Amino acid sequence: MPRLNANEYDAVIIGAGISGLVCGCYLAKAGMKVLIAEQHYKPGGYCTSFKRGEFNFAASAHFLGGFRYGNLNTIFNDLGIFEKLIIKKFDPSNKIITPNYIVSFWADLGRTIKDFQTVFPDESDNIEAFFNFLIKSDPKASLRMRTWTFKDLLDKYFASAELKSILSFPLFGNAALPPSLISAFIGIKIFREFLLDGGYYLEGGMQVLPDALAQRFKEFGGELQLSKLVKKIRIKNGKALGIYVDQDEFISADYVISNCDARQTFLKLVGKKILDQDFMDKLDQMVPSLSGYVIYLGIDEHISELPQTGVNMWVLPNANFELDNIYHTVKDGKFHNIDGYLLYVSPDKRSILAFLVAPFKNKRFWINNKKKLLDALITRIDMDIIPGLQKHIKFKDAATPQTMFRFTLNYKGAAFGWACNPSQLALTDFRKPSFIKGLYLTGHWTTKGFGIPGVMYVGHDTANMILRKWIA
Amino acid sequence: MAEKVEKAIVSIISEVSGFDEEEIKPEMNFFDDLEIDSIKAIEITVAIEKKFKISVRDEDVPNITTVKHAVELVNALLEQKAADAKA
Repeated sequence: MPRLNANEYDAVIIGAGISGLVCGCYLAKAGMKVLIAEQHYKPGGYCTSFKRGEFNFAASAHFLGGFRYGNLNTIFNDLGIFEKLIIKKFDPSNKIITPNYIVSFWADLGRTIKDFQTVFPDESDNIEAFFNFLIKSDPKASLRMRTWTFKDLLDKYFASAELKSILSFPLFGNAALPPSLISAFIGIKIFREFLLDGGYYLEGGMQVLPDALAQRFKEFGGELQLSKLVKKIRIKNGKALGIYVDQDEFISADYVISNCDARQTFLKLVGKKILDQDFMDKLDQMVPSLSGYVIYLGIDEHISELPQTGVNMWVLPNANFELDNIYHTVKDGKFHNIDGYLLYVSPDKRSILAFLVAPFKNKRFWINNKKKLLDALITRIDMDIIPGLQKHIKFKDAATPQTMFRFTLNYKGAAFGWACNPSQLALTDFRKPSFIKGLYLTGHWTTKGFGIPGVMYVGHDTANMILRKWIA
Repeated sequence: MAEKVEKAIVSIISEVSGFDEEEIKPEMNFFDDLEIDSIKAIEITVAIEKKFKISVRDEDVPNITTVKHAVELVNALLEQKAADAKA
């Protein structure tokens, strides 16, 4: 029966992150009446861009991956997204840079394997076996490894501690965990989606992706309300009935999908009264991922030694390969050595991003450290990769974990949802809580993956689960 | 007891796969019939382990292909657990 009343929907989605948008598109395309309510004034969550004068910066996510081994092709085709974007692939997509050598991730897997074999000749056969294992998708192998860390996996293949660290460093940057803590399953996903098939750049910047999804959503009949903060999810007799927005306005829906963080979803929007003590204890034990510190540099056109654009450069400037130590040092908020960072020069050659894994900390900490760290990181990049950089900077700023929180309301500015330890993988109650009918979570707080390919997968899957019920 | 186990497992599979409980038959293959992929297979296993307070061993994994297999495995692990508790 068609919904005629303005404030009655088949489904409401809280948050226009990539996962909420993908889910919304599929639901609206199937004929549901869908509302997406987003607190920010633009869609995208961590996948947004902003302009400062002549410069266009990716706020956080800055490339796409996962077309070859992931499910992005299916989703983009289903939703007609390819027609709305110009996608350019950079090769290599990622480079690991140490004082002594560089290894690259090429579109050609054989070339990637050779790069690693040249630096680690004693591990030649193991390198080949490892990469060939990574590109095979085998649910049973994943199932066997569900309790493994990435270190467990690396130990099966390699003897060289340095090689194991080199292979783990992009995971540290992409998930903020060292190999001894990150789930092997998630580590493999990062290799498949970000490293072995990364480097896809969107012409016009990252904002074009959420904008294209939002546009498709509206074309499918969906309604997107920006600057709309959801206050509460209404639950009665164990069933989600809708949401409350500003001035206690009630919007009813058969399905409520939360694309915001899990703590906020349960503790604030659902409310403690609805939750039993066991679940609250579990929620309290869950550990969020660390956040990130990002610098944005606008540069002039006269840098003579600008590195290749569109490539993630994973820099280990001090040849410190002790990722566990680096993790614990940055977790404590100590950055003095800057032992590892990610550097990215945008394809338009006008902006530079650099990322550090960073802890949340309080406002005072970041007021004291934001500028210091900005200057230290610029000096570091100047020394390691772009000599003379300082003289060519026309704009500089940084986002701290506090900034991440302010724009996205992710708990503690967490960059990747819950920390991806094996014990926090694939927990059903964070996906579709058994005690509230009609409530679903989507996005990187569902313990089922993160990054653009990860949250798109969950968004698509959430829509499939709902549509199966709705159509029936 | 065995029936209860089957019902609980079917309920978990239904929650994760999105298929209705009535649609899920014992002979159904997880990967071919129920559209279970890697992450969903992990999700089902983790939920079963939690529900029955058992651990699925690595060597058991190749044997879980159908709903029936999963039920048999859980029953065997529960029997083992009961026997261990007695001993």
